[in-house]
Amino acid sequence: MKAFLGIDTGSISTKGVVIDEDKNIIARSYLWTEGNPTVAARRVADELRSQLQEGGYGDAEVMAVGTTGSARRLVGAILGATVVKNEITAHAVGTTHLHPDVRTILEIGGQDSKIICIDGGIATDYAMNTLCAAGTGSFLSSQAHRLGVEVEEFGEIALTSKHPASIAARCTVFAESDLVHKIQVGYPREDIIAGLCKAVAVNYLNNVGKGKKIVSPVVFQGGVSKNVGVVKAFEDALGMKVLVDPDGHLMGAYGAALLAADSPVAQWKPFSFDIDDFDFRTREVVCQKCANHCEIVCVYRDDELIDAWGNRCEKGEIRIARKA
Amino acid sequence: MPNDKSKHLINTGEALDNLKRVYTDIRTSVANSDSLPEPLYRMRKGVKKERPRSGKRRKVAFMRYGYYDIAFRFFVEECLDADFVRLPEATRRTLELGTLNSNDYVCAPFKHILGDYIEALELGADTLVQFSGPCRLGYYGELQESILRDMGYEFQMVNFSEVSEKSAKETVQYCKKKINPDLSMPGAIAKFVVALEMIESLDRFNDLYLEVAGFEEEPGACKKVRKAYFDDMMQVKTMQDLLTAQKKGMEALEAVPKRIPNDPIRVGLVGEYFTAVDAHSNLGIEDKLQAMGVSMARMLNMTSRNLRYNEKNLRAGISEYVEYDMGPTSSLTLAAAKRYAEEGFDGIVHMKSSGCTPEIDVMPALQRISKDYNIPILYLSYDSQTSDTGLDTRLEAFYDMIAMGKAR
Repeated sequence: MKAFLGIDTGSISTKGVVIDEDKNIIARSYLWTEGNPTVAARRVADELRSQLQEGGYGDAEVMAVGTTGSARRLVGAILGATVVKNEITAHAVGTTHLHPDVRTILEIGGQDSKIICIDGGIATDYAMNTLCAAGTGSFLSSQAHRLGVEVEEFGEIALTSKHPASIAARCTVFAESDLVHKIQVGYPREDIIAGLCKAVAVNYLNNVGKGKKIVSPVVFQGGVSKNVGVVKAFEDALGMKVLVDPDGHLMGAYGAALLAADSPVAQWKPFSFDIDDFDFRTREVVCQKCANHCEIVCVYRDDELIDAWGNRCEKGEIRIARKA
Repeated sequence: MPNDKSKHLINTGEALDNLKRVYTDIRTSVANSDSLPEPLYRMRKGVKKERPRSGKRRKVAFMRYGYYDIAFRFFVEECLDADFVRLPEATRRTLELGTLNSNDYVCAPFKHILGDYIEALELGADTLVQFSGPCRLGYYGELQESILRDMGYEFQMVNFSEVSEKSAKETVQYCKKKINPDLSMPGAIAKFVVALEMIESLDRFNDLYLEVAGFEEEPGACKKVRKAYFDDMMQVKTMQDLLTAQKKGMEALEAVPKRIPNDPIRVGLVGEYFTAVDAHSNLGIEDKLQAMGVSMARMLNMTSRNLRYNEKNLRAGISEYVEYDMGPTSSLTLAAAKRYAEEGFDGIVHMKSSGCTPEIDVMPALQRISKDYNIPILYLSYDSQTSDTGLDTRLEAFYDMIAMGKAR
């Protein structure tokens, strides 16, 4: 049977799905990137392969691969992807496929957050945080660590609070000093955690969501959507129901797989899960052809250069001899 | 002198006044007070302030600003009869130099310009030119001079902020005094008319370039034509040269084989004076959009902001959104955005340096335009650390969004 693979490599986690021809997810994987996107992508591919075999899809043949997320190009080069798409488009495509009537997508990931406004199944406006990671998943993780709680438990603890502490949401640095202060003066832990969840939601609405009309149905996704405390904070702030899909954290990967499935058949590049047999390496070269000294990233598969990027002008272009 | 030329000359005075448009009410109150602010930098005692001597040619450098170095060269060499120090393309080092010697919180244009000045001084410039402006830019010349002198450079600064209250004639005299005391005024003014015409010509060429370059059949063809055109413009000495080069360039650009779709994706570029115009400041956004096959328009240029700027008229056209002028390019940004929306553009990209107050003030009004006309606006903030990757992600997504909506 024909199948399609989508991989979303974010700063914190790497997500992968395999879909069948009817666009149902038949294998899913979610792992930490751990600062090594190439290894993470392979681990995700391995996990997907074993899931396919265990789930009775051993005959699935991946016809095309789509990659997204901040490491989409690197991972795309390694997997020989047909589609390399930005995460905003991938999320919009994935979500509108599962929820055709969605009007607003809220997304909070490890390092970034975005809002996508949809009308009639088509994205009409979006915004993404700039310059600052305040209120994203990595902020919650580091604060969970400070409080000695697993970030996965955060939401449940937050729901037990009756009086969420008020925590400055504008900036991670201020939020952190505010938080330390409240811990030291003796606020109960659940109130602090609930306050943090609220701060994340308020910060999001005041920054990324500023000036955007948030219309129901609202779908909330990204890693932080798994935190029921933040979901509740959004529902309180917006005064409307906020949907969280069980596969919400996989929407980028799902969108990438859908885009790969919809790509012209002529562009399909079948993928076999044997990438472990190859050795992938990246090397940074500083171009000396002009004074700009662009840093060019070269990707090698078994000492063969397969892709390169980072040059600002044609002088630094590295031509890849592509094998037919 | 033919009638239209003399008319142009009269406009020159107004044009110059536009270069230094001020908030009269605010400025007069400062000017009227007896205690003027202390200058940031005082010459150390014993250092003799260098005055241009008769017969010595000054080596003059401007900051990098898009393609206007062509007009700056003409202004320096042909109008003022001094040497122009042409800066090579900016590199990462330029911005690193500028950032290293600037306050972290100052806006990105300051850092770019300071880097340009340092490179100009390294190339032997002895005179630097800074504009005046109705935002923080008005203070930049003085601050940059102070920083550069602390770094040990010796040069003279031609800072138009020093004459921003003065008449056009006094401004020209200021240039004469600073740059070339032997200058013949009538000759210089006649050439100045050519310099102004040159700016308008360059902007007209660029308007066409932005509109059609995305549809060239052979990648790089339009850029090649543009380079040849710029090279020609660099050689211009007279009005006749200018007209010839302009005609040749425009015809060559029109002749480039193109495949223009029936309903191309059109994006309007708006924003802050420096960031939205200068490719090094906005990470080459025009090239990126061109590569995606987008037709662009940018009303913001020196022609519309400096030479033919009429803030009151612009504001009258956007009176449903603003009552007051919010500073440098704010009215132009809104007027341009509204025009693009009315003309059925598919999207607008708003660019500013991070922390640019006037352009931040503009954003709520832009959001209203976006809602009223149902046109998406992408807001971009640039700082010296902005990465290409983040910009590519946002631009691609913006493009996909428009293209998918259009495909419906």
